[in-house]
Amino acid sequence: MKYYADFHIHSHFSRATSKELNLEHLFVWAQIKGIQVVSTGDFVHPGWLKELREKLVPAEDGLYRLRPDLAKPMQSRVPPACQGEVRFILSAEISNIYKRMDKVRKVHNVILAPNLSVAEAVQGRLDEIGNIRSDGRPILGLDSRNLLEIVLESDPLSFLVPAHIWTPWFSALGSKGGFDRIEDCFADLTPEIFAVETGLSSDPPMNWRLSQLDPFVMVSCSDAHSPAKLGRESTILETDLSYPAMYKALKDRSDKGLIGTVEFYPEEGKYHYDGHRQCRQRLHPRQTIANKGLCPECGKPVTVGVMARVEELADHPDGRKSPNAREYFSLIPLPEIISEARGVGVNSKAVQTVFMEMLAKLGNEMAILQHIPVAEIQKVSGSVIAEGIRRMREGQVEIAAGYDGEYGKIKLFSEDERDSIDNQLTLFG
Amino acid sequence: MNGTASTTSSPYLGKTLMANFPQPENVNAAQWRAVSAPGGRLLIIAGPGTGKTHTLTYRIFCRLKDLALPQKFCVITFTNKAAGEIKERVRSLCGEEKAGRQLTVGTFHSFCWQILNEHAQDAGLPAQLQCAAPPDIAEMAKAIWPQTTAAQRKNILALVSSWKSCSYTAPVPDEVVVYNRELRQRGFLDFDDLLLETLILLRKNPVLLREIQNGYPEIFVDEYQDINPVQHDLLKLLVGNSGGITAIGDPNQAIYGFRGSDTRFFESFSGDFPGAQVMTLQENYRSGKNILSASSQVIEKNPDCQVPALTAQMYVDGRLTIYEAATDKAEAEYVVHNIEKFVGGTSMFSHDSGRVDSHAEGEWSFGDIAVLCRLKAQMRLLVKAFEQLGIPSHVSGQEVSEEAEGLDFICPSRYDDITLDVEKVTLMTLHASKGLEFPVVFIVGCEECLLPLHWEKMVSDREEERRLFYVGMTRAKERLFLTRARKRVLFGKTYQPRISPFLTDIEDSLKDYEEAILRSKKRKKEDEQMSLF
Repeated sequence: MKYYADFHIHSHFSRATSKELNLEHLFVWAQIKGIQVVSTGDFVHPGWLKELREKLVPAEDGLYRLRPDLAKPMQSRVPPACQGEVRFILSAEISNIYKRMDKVRKVHNVILAPNLSVAEAVQGRLDEIGNIRSDGRPILGLDSRNLLEIVLESDPLSFLVPAHIWTPWFSALGSKGGFDRIEDCFADLTPEIFAVETGLSSDPPMNWRLSQLDPFVMVSCSDAHSPAKLGRESTILETDLSYPAMYKALKDRSDKGLIGTVEFYPEEGKYHYDGHRQCRQRLHPRQTIANKGLCPECGKPVTVGVMARVEELADHPDGRKSPNAREYFSLIPLPEIISEARGVGVNSKAVQTVFMEMLAKLGNEMAILQHIPVAEIQKVSGSVIAEGIRRMREGQVEIAAGYDGEYGKIKLFSEDERDSIDNQLTLFG
Repeated sequence: MNGTASTTSSPYLGKTLMANFPQPENVNAAQWRAVSAPGGRLLIIAGPGTGKTHTLTYRIFCRLKDLALPQKFCVITFTNKAAGEIKERVRSLCGEEKAGRQLTVGTFHSFCWQILNEHAQDAGLPAQLQCAAPPDIAEMAKAIWPQTTAAQRKNILALVSSWKSCSYTAPVPDEVVVYNRELRQRGFLDFDDLLLETLILLRKNPVLLREIQNGYPEIFVDEYQDINPVQHDLLKLLVGNSGGITAIGDPNQAIYGFRGSDTRFFESFSGDFPGAQVMTLQENYRSGKNILSASSQVIEKNPDCQVPALTAQMYVDGRLTIYEAATDKAEAEYVVHNIEKFVGGTSMFSHDSGRVDSHAEGEWSFGDIAVLCRLKAQMRLLVKAFEQLGIPSHVSGQEVSEEAEGLDFICPSRYDDITLDVEKVTLMTLHASKGLEFPVVFIVGCEECLLPLHWEKMVSDREEERRLFYVGMTRAKERLFLTRARKRVLFGKTYQPRISPFLTDIEDSLKDYEEAILRSKKRKKEDEQMSLF
């Protein structure tokens, strides 16, 4: 079957996350968002693993489902048009901070385990070497390569995916805490890496510009810190619904199970351009170079974003396609499209109301963004939103790129346009 | 004492020994003078960061080259770790085989243990020697003095140990008599006995003594400032009239006076070992010059300090920051937040929230940072603060304990290390920090009562406390933070200590005062409000 998977999220045990990040809410939101396989996140945290043991029951091989008695009362919160099966897969993120080759390296890695006992074994190993209790995403002074070794020793089906590989502060190729090559990070164990996570600020074509990434497939995940962010990026697979099948689809290059990824427009990510948030300086990498890497406002070095870093490490021009390339779809979260169309804040009541209305009448968010014909959407949402979705699908999007921790700002319509498109028709049927 | 003291050759040095290899590039002039000094008797005063172990190993190597088989050198260290390090370094200089065949490296205890084992009968000891471990002793003491409290027994045992290691020439106290009788009845020696019994054995058995002297024509002693009277007497006996001795250490770093160590032995060295030269290493390769100047200003106030000041060889200036927190809790949070900043932020949140500004470049990792304190009791709040921010830290308990070191050679497997190499911030007592170095060092609790320690019944020697503080300061390479709290809870009592007098010994121009951020923000707000009216 074809399904959407989100391998990297967090629980309420992680720092700066929503209290609602529990299994019940993940169950609800996965359906709303149209995600069939969702990560548990944070399995290294003892408190969270205990919850997983209590609230999950085995489903297909290596996958779990929410205990039926817990799922039932939650199901009423999911619009019937969105309802579907939800499976959980065990994953966790580790923040590895350590010195290698005289430089401080800060690399985030996502690890996946094929069942709860393997997860517990990995947890036990990490418990011996560091503090895994005060953060769902623990900080360990452990070399990424050694983490990979621990993961590999835990089970033949355990694996590690370097997280959001371009993020400046915390990633394998990041400008501040990373390496220039994935193999510098994982050394002799590099062959055991077969997938990398693109992160919000990069999309597959940016990654295809590096021959060194050719051996890997791209996966995309939400790294959600609240349930509503679930599936904002995700991975599309077509396999049997099981952990081993998913593992094979990612690892085996002859397997056709990995279809591709759902992406943010990379400009929307928090670190696409360069700049200084505190100084409100957003710089295109060209401007950064012209400015010798310094902030025009304060004169200190700017935070170099993903675009510049890709440019620095790329050995191919724009437009090159990796031999392992899969499909990708650039989407904008539906609430943002509604917000743009209505000219109101994304967290406003109005956006919420329209969003829920659309879910109830059309189906889950992924279906609305990707599959449901615009004409059908228009009947429910009115012309402007439908036109916004059409433009997004066509890639007719203007974005003020994100930089130094500030998300990019989408622009689908100019002020005049919004007025001229007739949105009087059929807003609520 | 100074490096140009003249020498009269000792009997052992009928043959004058000059360097038998050229000066290596990584050995400076003063070190080279010590390495290649002719004469088998030498005291090297090596301040912090002057290359103590480096110089000692090169000197061992230099002397080893001329040594005839089957003789051996004996190298005495205070910890098994140091023994391992010296063995390793000498091995890399002269090859495994030679080092293995001609070198005995170990602690006083391991050396004596070996002698006693080989000559148990002569010593009037049972053939199967057994050394009592701390739990055995505690249990025995309880049996001997059933009416006493644990604290009282601790005091009695301290008295026994002190007599055995420092004042065994004085009349035997009753407690020692009772204790020893029971100990022997149980077939045990204790750790102090290893040394004392060896001394007694060698004193009454000149043939054996001569045999050992001939087997070890030269002895090398590390950390000479830490030796106690029984160790001193043993060395005198072993070296005798004709043997060689190279001792290295730093009287300014003597911090074990409470265990009977005595820096007097530095001054008496030339008298104890006639013909000895004394040399001083002054070039410091560890600390930035501001940190070194500040440390010197502290130690110079010690009336016994006669060692000339060190000169900084590092390119970095180093920076000394003073911070005063409102409470001990705020002090711990300050330390941990600074560490987060040094590593360049440890979470996305710390960047996105602006808690770490985006210019912060992670220069240091967790393993580069140490937090030192006077008492273990200070650690609780720090551990908590580290846990709250999820920063990896560990309390290092590698304080030099003779008991632990003793156990180590009897059952060495205890310290087999199988843990993965993981970087963590080191949290340790000032005592435990000796011999280590870190780019960034925090010394917390720079308050009277703690530094120097003067807390109810805990009263200590002020000058030893100063040396302890000096040891802590000289661990730092680039950044040194001296922090204190205006309010502290210790052992359940709250007090409001004044600043440590040691801090006032440092001139102001070397100190960077950092203000409590919250306080200054509040003050700013008040200023703004004032201007409204």
